[in-house]
Amino acid sequence: MALSCDLLILGGGMAGLVAGSVAAESGISTLLIRKGESATAYSSGAIDIIGYLPEAGEPFDSPKEGLAAIAGLYPLHPYSILGYNENVTPDNVVGVIVERVRETVAWLKKNLKNTVAPLYGDFKRNIFPITILGTTKPTCLIQKTMYSTSLQKEEESVLLFAGFKGNVDFNPAVAAKTYLEDRISIGEPPRKVGHCTLQVAPFGKSYNVSSIELARHLDHESSVDELVKQLKPHVEQLGATHVALPPVLGVKHALSNKKDIQEKLGAEVFELLGFPPSVPGLRLQLALDEVYRKKGGRMLIGHEALSYTRTEKLVTNVLARTNRREVNIETKAVILSTGKYIGGGLSGDENGIRETIFGLMTVTDAYQSAGGIVPSHYTNRFALSPEGHPINSCGLTLDPHFRPVDEDGVEWASNLFAAGSILAGYDYSIEKSGLGIAAMSGFSAAQNAIDFIKEVS
Amino acid sequence: MDENEAFEYAKHTLREEKVTPFSPHELEVVKSVESCINCGLCINNCPVVAAVGVDRFSGPRSIAVELSRSPPEFWSTADTVYLCTGCGTCQEVCPKNVNIPDVVIMVRTRIFEYRQDLVPKGFNIVREVLTEHRLAFEPWEDKEEKNESRDMRLERLGLPFVEDRVIDDAEVLFYPGCQAEERAQEVREAAKVILDYFDVNYTLLDEMSCCGLPARLIGDYETDQKLTSSLKKKVQELGVKMIVTTCAGCTSSLSDITQRDEWGVPAFHILEFLVEQIGLERFGSAMKQVSEFSDVHVSVHDPCHLIRHTSRQISDYALEILRLIPGVKVSVSEAYDSCCGGGGMVSYHSPDVSNAVVKENLEAIRKTHAERLVTPCPLCTAQIESNLFKSGSSVEVDDLTVFIAQRLPKKV
Repeated sequence: MALSCDLLILGGGMAGLVAGSVAAESGISTLLIRKGESATAYSSGAIDIIGYLPEAGEPFDSPKEGLAAIAGLYPLHPYSILGYNENVTPDNVVGVIVERVRETVAWLKKNLKNTVAPLYGDFKRNIFPITILGTTKPTCLIQKTMYSTSLQKEEESVLLFAGFKGNVDFNPAVAAKTYLEDRISIGEPPRKVGHCTLQVAPFGKSYNVSSIELARHLDHESSVDELVKQLKPHVEQLGATHVALPPVLGVKHALSNKKDIQEKLGAEVFELLGFPPSVPGLRLQLALDEVYRKKGGRMLIGHEALSYTRTEKLVTNVLARTNRREVNIETKAVILSTGKYIGGGLSGDENGIRETIFGLMTVTDAYQSAGGIVPSHYTNRFALSPEGHPINSCGLTLDPHFRPVDEDGVEWASNLFAAGSILAGYDYSIEKSGLGIAAMSGFSAAQNAIDFIKEVS
Repeated sequence: MDENEAFEYAKHTLREEKVTPFSPHELEVVKSVESCINCGLCINNCPVVAAVGVDRFSGPRSIAVELSRSPPEFWSTADTVYLCTGCGTCQEVCPKNVNIPDVVIMVRTRIFEYRQDLVPKGFNIVREVLTEHRLAFEPWEDKEEKNESRDMRLERLGLPFVEDRVIDDAEVLFYPGCQAEERAQEVREAAKVILDYFDVNYTLLDEMSCCGLPARLIGDYETDQKLTSSLKKKVQELGVKMIVTTCAGCTSSLSDITQRDEWGVPAFHILEFLVEQIGLERFGSAMKQVSEFSDVHVSVHDPCHLIRHTSRQISDYALEILRLIPGVKVSVSEAYDSCCGGGGMVSYHSPDVSNAVVKENLEAIRKTHAERLVTPCPLCTAQIESNLFKSGSSVEVDDLTVFIAQRLPKKV
C-alpha cells in the first residue's frame, strides 16, 4: 500500500492531535498514524500547564507565574524553547512563552467547546479540582463536568461524596475524610462533608461494576432518574449544596447528564479526578480525534512506523505496518509525537535509552547523552518520590524550530519536528505540566512544520 | 540425543502433564504480553465488555495477563475465553500492541487439546462439517437447488450471471470463502461480475475449501493444519500470482497463513484489488457510464477482520470507491467500526452475547437515517441484516461487493 501527504504525524495523543489539527486547519494535507491509544487517553483528563516548580512545595497561582519562573530558572525546559527563536529579543522571552501558551489554551477551549470534553478554566489562574482520594491538585483546564466554581468559595457550602456499590475505584468515606481534614487545616469552606454509597447496577449486579460501565449506563436515556432518586434523600439529610461523584457521568452525554441531575436534585454536581484509565481521559481522546477529523485530517489507526528513508537531511518516506500489511508513506515533513515510555517513543534497556523510530540522540535531565543510561540506575528509590524520577526527564532536545538535534547540536533532519512527552527536560509528574507541554509543543511544532512545507512547496 | 530429539522427548513427557510447549509464533505472542502495563484501556474499549459487563466477560486484560500463563488458568477461564468475538479492538488501542486476539486462540487451542469437556458443545456441528466437507457450512445436498437459489438471488438483485471459471493459467485466484460459497451466493457471483468486467484473468478452485479460520477460533489445531496445508497445495498447483477474496475473515486469515506457511502468494480483499490493481481511474471511468440507478443513501460498516486485523486503509478504499459511484450519499454511523458480534464463533454457543454486541451498531445505523447499509463482508452482512430485521428496522443490508457489481455497467 502507498500513501502520500504533506505532513505525517507519528503518534496520536494530545501533542500529535493538536499538531495535526493546527496543520489541517491551515489547509495542509495531514496524515496521522498511531499504533495504540495514547497516554492522553488514560490520563485524568486535566490539562495542566504548570503546577509546581521542581522541588517547590507550593503550587503556582497562575500558569503565567509558573512560566516566568521556568523561563528564568530552566532555560532548556520545553517551555523555554519558545524563547530561543531568532525573532525573540532577550527582554521579551517570557512574553513570547506566555503568549504562545495563552494562545494554545485559547485554541483548546475553542476547539473542544462542542465535543464530549468541553473545558472549564482559563490561562489567568490555576484551579484546584478534587481527586477521588479527596486531595486537590493544581491544573489549568478541566472538563466542565469536573469542577464547581462555588464549592470552595461559599461559606455555607456542604459537600456530599457519593460512590457506587461494587465500584472499587472510589471509596467515598476515605475521600470525604481526607478532603475535610484538608479544608479544616487551611480554614476554608466547605466545613461540612458527608458521604454515601449508591446502588446502580448496569448489568443487574451490584458487584464488580467498572467505571466505564457506569459511564455507558448513564449515557442511556433517563438512567439518571434512578441516580437522582437515590441521591435525593442523602442530599436532603446532609443538607448538601454540592455532590461529588467519581468520573462516570457518561462517555457521550456527561455534561447534559450533569445539568439534568442538578436540575432534578437542586444541588450542584461534579466529577472527581480519577485514576488511569479514566473516563474523562477517554472523553478527551475522543474529543481530540473528532476535532482533528473535522478539520480534514486523515488518520490511520493501528499502524506503527517501522522504518524511514532520509536523503540529504530530509525524511522522504516512512514505512508503517499493521500485523498483516505495510504502507509506504511519502511526505514533505514529519512530526514525531510518539510519547515517552508508555507510548513507546522512547525505550530503555540495559544498553541505554533510545528513540525508537529514527534513533535520534536522547539526553538526560542534565542534557548529557542518555544513550548509555541504564534505566534502573536512573530512578529514585521511592515510587512516589516528591523529587520525581530522573528517567522521566530524559528525551529529545530540540532546536528553536522544534527539530530534534544531533550530537553537534544541529537538526537531525530539516523536516523532522518533535512534540509531546518525548521531549527532555521536564518531569510532568512532579511539575504537573504533562498535557500542557504536549499541547504547546504540538501547536508550535505544527507552526514550524507549516512554515517549512509552505517554503518548499 | 540431538536438540530436536530432546525437544520431541520433552514434548512427549509434557503432554502427560497436559502442557504443550509454545510454538515460535506463540512465544512471540506470550512475549508481547510481557509488555502489558496493566493500564486497562482495552477493557474500556472492548465491545463485549460494553455489551455484557465485566462480570460476564472479564475483558481482554484479564485474558492476556492472567490467562497466558499455565494450564489451571486456561481451564478455569473457559467460560470467558469463548466469549471474545475476536474483533481486535484491544490490540488496536493497546499502547504496547499486546497481541490479545492471538492469546485467545492460544488458550482455546490448549483447552481444546486437553479439556474437551470445557469446549462449547455448539462447536461440534461446525467441526463435523469442517472435517467432512472442508467447509464451515454444510454444503447443499442438491446442486440443482443450490443453482436455483443462486438464480433467485441474481434475479432479485438484478445481477447478470457469469459462468464459473476454473482454468489452469490464471493470474488471480478468486476465493469466495465458505459463507459466499454456500450461503451468500450473491457475493460470489458479484465478485465474478466485477472480475469479468475488468477482464481479470482469474480462476476459482475446482472445489472450494475452508481457510481454516473457524478451526483456529475453535482451537482445533489439527483440523486447521489439515485445511491450510491442503489449501496451500491447491493454490500452489494453480500457480496464481495472488488470491482475491470477498470475505473479511478470509482476508486476514489468508494473509496470515500465506505468510506463516510461506505460500509465496499474497492474499487481498477485492476492495484492495480494485484500488491497487484495477485502479480508481479505471473504476471511475466505468462508473461514469452508469445512469439507470436511482440515488441511494448508505452507511458503511467496517468489518473487524479488514480494518483491525488487516489495515484501516481498506476502509478508506471503500469510501473512495463509493465516492466514484454516481448517486451514492454516505453518512458515517457513530458505530461504523464497532464489532457486529458475529466473530469469534461466539454466536454458536452464546447468541445472547453476540446479539448484545450488535445492538450498539443498530442504534447508530438508525441515527444516520440511511436507507441501506453496505459492508465488505458476507458474515457482517448476515449478522447485521438479521438483527436489523428482528429490531423492526427497514434498513436493508448489502455486501459491498454486490452493491458495486449491481452498479457496474453491463459488459459489452
